[in-house]
Amino acid sequence: MLSPGQRMLRALVAWMVVGIFFFPIYYWFTIAFRIDKEIFEIPPLLLDFTFSWQSFEEVFGITIGAKGGLEVVPGGGNYYMVPRLVDSIIVAVGSTALAVTVATLASYALSRMRIPGQHHFVFWILSTRMMPPVAVAIPMFFIYKNFGLLDSHLGIIIVHALMNLPLAVLLLKSFFDDIPQEIDEAALIDGASRFLIFRKIVMPMAIGGIAATAVLCFIFSWTEFLFVLTLTQTSLKTVPVVSTTFVTSTGTAWGKMAALGVTAMIPAFIFILLVQKNLVRGLTLGSLKQ
Amino acid sequence: MKFNHNNRKRYLASVTDRYVKGQMDRRTFLRSAGKLGLGAGVLGLSATMPFGGRGGFINSAQALEIQPDADMMAWLKDAAKPFAGQTIKLATESTPPSNAINSALKPFFEEATGIKVEIEVLPLEQVLQKLTLDVASGLGTYDLYYIDQSWMASFSGDVIDPREKYEANSDLAMPNYNMDDFLPALVDGISMYDGIMVGVPYDIPIFITMYRKDIYDELGLKVPTTMEEYMANAVAIQEAKAPEIYGTTGQMKSGHYSLECDWTCWLWAHGGSIFGPDGKFTGNDDAGMAAMEYWIKLKENMPEGVTTWTWDGQGQSVLQGIAGQALSWGEFFPWWDGPDDSKVSGLMEAAVPPAPAAPLRTTDQTGYGEIPGVGHQGGSSLAVSKYSKHQDAAWLFAQWATSFDTQVYITALGGGTGPTRESVYDDPRIKANAKPGIPGTTRHLDVVRETIASHMGSEPDLPEWAELSNDTIPVELGRFWAGEYDSPKAAMDSIAKKVDGILKG
Repeated sequence: MLSPGQRMLRALVAWMVVGIFFFPIYYWFTIAFRIDKEIFEIPPLLLDFTFSWQSFEEVFGITIGAKGGLEVVPGGGNYYMVPRLVDSIIVAVGSTALAVTVATLASYALSRMRIPGQHHFVFWILSTRMMPPVAVAIPMFFIYKNFGLLDSHLGIIIVHALMNLPLAVLLLKSFFDDIPQEIDEAALIDGASRFLIFRKIVMPMAIGGIAATAVLCFIFSWTEFLFVLTLTQTSLKTVPVVSTTFVTSTGTAWGKMAALGVTAMIPAFIFILLVQKNLVRGLTLGSLKQ
Repeated sequence: MKFNHNNRKRYLASVTDRYVKGQMDRRTFLRSAGKLGLGAGVLGLSATMPFGGRGGFINSAQALEIQPDADMMAWLKDAAKPFAGQTIKLATESTPPSNAINSALKPFFEEATGIKVEIEVLPLEQVLQKLTLDVASGLGTYDLYYIDQSWMASFSGDVIDPREKYEANSDLAMPNYNMDDFLPALVDGISMYDGIMVGVPYDIPIFITMYRKDIYDELGLKVPTTMEEYMANAVAIQEAKAPEIYGTTGQMKSGHYSLECDWTCWLWAHGGSIFGPDGKFTGNDDAGMAAMEYWIKLKENMPEGVTTWTWDGQGQSVLQGIAGQALSWGEFFPWWDGPDDSKVSGLMEAAVPPAPAAPLRTTDQTGYGEIPGVGHQGGSSLAVSKYSKHQDAAWLFAQWATSFDTQVYITALGGGTGPTRESVYDDPRIKANAKPGIPGTTRHLDVVRETIASHMGSEPDLPEWAELSNDTIPVELGRFWAGEYDSPKAAMDSIAKKVDGILKG
């Protein structure tokens, strides 16, 4: 039993940890809403800054508050980022769906079925994550050019799914391993097919694990830089790569970069909120052996 | 409604958009535009361009008054007929000319020619990576190359010589293009390698002296004409104003090309050179060591952060009012003079670089075509890829982008960047922008022009230079500033060993 003082101390430490994690995000938010002149103010303006939509207006091609409303102005220009946010969402959602679908099937098979050299096969899957991405980025460029996948959403969806597959397979396999095989066997005796068991019985039980895997795949795709940089040109760009557009020969447009960064947090945040209920269960699933 | 700069942009964007979408009739639109004092030229523009003014440091008020040369556009329309529908691609650094073209001017070319132009804007090092991959594969994924002067030799075998292209196909040779109008020093410095014209001179950032006139006046300082005076002014400002305002500033991030740019400036200014006539590294000789001593002393008058800054940090430091002077890229000047972003708007002045502390070496005393000069230039050229499948369309774009008319608009829109054509400096539209404290000022361009003509320094041209200047030298200089070497001599000897090793293969 903690004394009131100890409880107070615990709460204080907890809030300090929260503060340490939250402060950079808050500071980034303030940059997005400051006027350019105040971005590098010393000492930094944490609260008392001139609030401005200026950066968001340029990044989204909108005029906010000019006449008390929201007026859309035509897009265009280096800093107009709406299409790039759409690209990011398409790529992240597409690659997550593809990776999780394939990984769920593969990991169920690896969990329940036996193949010769299975242990080596699993290790081989793991070993593909050990290779630095830059080692495959350039060969991928040539392959993609030949297959017509260069500078396409499909190409990036595939490469991000490939990048996430090993992790997704291993993660999901551990979730499936934690579901007792006896459940499958009982269903088999009752005449259910393997696929029916997978679809109706095992998958619903592993939904938390699948959600957790999907979140990780989404975040990895959302933040991936190298493949998008190498395999795209002008048709699409995701947020991490297009953020470099703000770095110019005459300075970096920090306000605009922060506006895009702040906005880029929102889709990932929404995605995590959507799967949050299952995520908590998924992250703790298998933590206790029964 | 009071029209300050931002309100003006918003209001114009709003009325232009409504007019283009048919939500506002012509009369109302003209009346609305008239509130801002704009003439009928606005209307012609609004029908053809998707309101630019975004991206880079574009002067959007100017963007509304673009009226391209009618004869040139008519010729383009005719010459481009066989290529209508083609798409050409360019990867470029985010520079004032590229931003002006991408954000405001490109639609005029596309509408006249039917050629679609896709511009990929990236930081300089990523442009190099993209181009390297493109030429290594020979796939022609880009039709046009943005070639920094430090990469010229590396890509000289992968491009089409614009002079040959111009001569070989008269149907595609733009009338009055006038190759001779390009500043001769620039053609040598950023476009020529081993008798090949690698590309057309596209932009010219160059080191000039820029200083805070208010501080100079307050402290009774004179514009520095020698390196000693430049140092003395930095020390004087530092002693009087630090830590609020430092004597000078720098772009000294370890491993970044900007660090190499600063080093060459001080090296050349002390009578040194990167290479000797035998092709060996000479940055570690007596002149090289004098330069290092000067640089070390000068750094004592810079903000602590300079060793983490590229040109971005350096520019910001002056913009935020914490540095009293800089010998750096002239294209910063309009940014610093702009009223919206800058704390030093209207307070800056420009001058040609100080005279060197020791006689400059001649090209006979250096290697690989190196031309010592305190005004370090970082120009670039626009080249047509020999792997491109749309070479003719790309060539038309290259001519349009570097034509007199387009350069005038680039200079006006792009924040007063240095033009590469002689005639642009004299154009009345450019002269008209030579006012203090306005967006896109051109009041520094006379200094830029004189620096190009009389003080320009150009890096050597050799295929390995892209690697040496972007990696080997700045990495080792970064290690020196991080304290990993016992002395400047040890650092320079180490660089000499590495550079000579790479050149030996």
